[in-house]
Amino acid sequence: MHAVRRYLIAAVALATAAAFGSGCASNAPSSSSLGGQFVVGYSQSNNAEPYRAQLNLQLQYYAKQHSDLKLLPITDAHQDSATQVSQVQNFIQQKVNALIVSPNEPAPLTAAVQQACAAKIPVIILDRSVNTDCYSAFIGGDNYGIGKLAGQAAVQALPHGGNVVELQGILSDQPQIDRDKGFRDAIAGRNITIIDAQEAKWLKANANTIMQQWIAKGDKIDLVYSQNDDMALGAQLAIAGAGKAGQIQIVGIDGLAIPTGGIRAVQQGLMLTTFVYPTCAPQAVDTLEKLLHNQSVDKKQILGTTQVTKDNAAQLYRQYDMSGKVG
Amino acid sequence: MTADSTSGGGRETGGPETLPAPVQPEEQPGRLNRIRLGLARFAPFLGAAQGYIGLVLVIAVGIITKGQYFWNQTNLSNAVTAFASRGILAVGVTLVILTAGIDLSVGSVLGIGSMTAAMLLVHQNLSPWLIVPASALVGAFFGLCNGLGTTVLRIQSFVMTLAMLSVVRGIDRQMSGNVAVGTALLDQNGHPTPRAEQFSLLGTPGRTLFQGTWLPLFGRAGIGYPVLAFVVVCIVFQLVLTKTRFGRHIYAVGGNPTAARLSGVNVTLVIVAVFTLSGLLAGFAGPIDAAYSASADPLAGTGYELDAIAAAVIGGASLAGGKGTITGTFVGALILTLLDNVLGLNSVSANLQLIIKGLIVVVAVVLQRPGFFRSIADPLVRLLRRPHPSGS
Repeated sequence: MHAVRRYLIAAVALATAAAFGSGCASNAPSSSSLGGQFVVGYSQSNNAEPYRAQLNLQLQYYAKQHSDLKLLPITDAHQDSATQVSQVQNFIQQKVNALIVSPNEPAPLTAAVQQACAAKIPVIILDRSVNTDCYSAFIGGDNYGIGKLAGQAAVQALPHGGNVVELQGILSDQPQIDRDKGFRDAIAGRNITIIDAQEAKWLKANANTIMQQWIAKGDKIDLVYSQNDDMALGAQLAIAGAGKAGQIQIVGIDGLAIPTGGIRAVQQGLMLTTFVYPTCAPQAVDTLEKLLHNQSVDKKQILGTTQVTKDNAAQLYRQYDMSGKVG
Repeated sequence: MTADSTSGGGRETGGPETLPAPVQPEEQPGRLNRIRLGLARFAPFLGAAQGYIGLVLVIAVGIITKGQYFWNQTNLSNAVTAFASRGILAVGVTLVILTAGIDLSVGSVLGIGSMTAAMLLVHQNLSPWLIVPASALVGAFFGLCNGLGTTVLRIQSFVMTLAMLSVVRGIDRQMSGNVAVGTALLDQNGHPTPRAEQFSLLGTPGRTLFQGTWLPLFGRAGIGYPVLAFVVVCIVFQLVLTKTRFGRHIYAVGGNPTAARLSGVNVTLVIVAVFTLSGLLAGFAGPIDAAYSASADPLAGTGYELDAIAAAVIGGASLAGGKGTITGTFVGALILTLLDNVLGLNSVSANLQLIIKGLIVVVAVVLQRPGFFRSIADPLVRLLRRPHPSGS
């Protein structure tokens, strides 16, 4: 037993030493523009969301198109702001030439972004804002606007009014708040009632269960508004399971070009429509190039959306699909 | 008698209460005492029956507030299906808890089980008959690691399984590349492939085995594989606990490991086996979860361990070990799932649901205490008796 332990301790010690060694090794070459390449760090808030996984892939893909960009391994903060702050600080320590940040939350990341600013590192903020002006560019989608478009799609689908149920993301998330408000503003006065709204935390399984309960209650439901496609597809499973496929329309948001995403679902007729929430990756790389070559950029870039319908789904999927494009 | 009942609140509810009871009627004959005698005789069963009180309450609230919308086969079957995978986790966790350990890694292991299942389906096009055992084996492997960690490396099970929770989730996310794997595969004509169709049966509440048969409960809406798997797992492990030597060893190890060791029980082996079984069950529940949402999410099962532990605790399992049953856990899981359903049907807000579920755990644990009802009943009985000492 003791022998085993001693070996373990030795192994752990070795592994730690190796980790430190490699850490230092990777620090050294990335100190500044090496061989004419600009070193770029990207701090992602959470890799495990499909939208962000797709964003990572697209960013790697578009960065590869520019030979003068060297994207360091993307850091993942696992949805934890404190982790993300330290990861951003690591990038600052490594003296990267530019920094891209997808903040987990505005307030905690503000200080880290200010530190980068103080170190004269240009920062591009994606998707969620920070509480300072000391960055080079903000690129994001318009959640309120998309929610409003989704509401208009619902009005179009229910010209004589009807009953809508709403599947909500995590209630405290800003996108949830905006997508909810936009939708409600768009359907106001159109004889459409939201008879039920429940938090499904962006997750498919939760949405399935909640939708089953709504169907069990026996109220007449004409349309499901889901704040993301995952929840929309969870609701779709419940609707199909109850033998009501086709009787209840589904409107989603996100429109990711992945096999489990909304574009495919619209193409297959599982959902009425969805709206592409821009990943901002191509614009981020464009802005990056301009910044590094001292060209002027728009400080605030709010990107539009594309409505996904059965007619344009196939074409949109080809356009945004990243499978096989990133090595 | 009263002194007895307060001190007799320990493990053996039956002993001290049944013995003095027969003496009682000779002193004070009467209806009150006959009821009391009856209660005393039932006391040992009441310990187990208290769990059912919560279940009956939840069902009553459901029926009162929603009537037939709650009490119909489709809704109930849907409700239990939604919880089936967590229920299976709870059975594994109960086994571990009985040995005075804890398994926090079950949610992650379920996640990797569901990812394994989805990948085997998508990339290898295997049949569910192979996918389910394969996922279970993957789970069993991580369970075995937990068992070896707690015994050979002598790491406390809380720490070992907490570490495993993180490791397994990392592997899951790494092998999936953080992208959900969809299981609803379509052929060129846009129809589901036969394999995908088979796989989806693993998680669908409605369509199923006994549909259209004469069986009164099963026939109409059909009982799905998830519910069936959950019930069968419960029955099998309840039998293992009560009817086999291994089962008695589990209780022995949890009750007093030193005594168990001295009486010849291989404590290490029992603990390793229990963790392996917990992992096996978590892996086994993976495909159900994947089929339920028609995709394996890299985050699937996050937080499920807490639901599983809650089900076991509501069902009367003690984290100190040696006390608890699978039937209790089954009832605990039913309480949680039906509560979830009732709250959902009544459109209770998500925030309030969290509060209610937390309070239910506390209330359930207090109710489970063997002496609880007697401590309320005895003063009441004495109070009633005082004005009419004759008892009539």
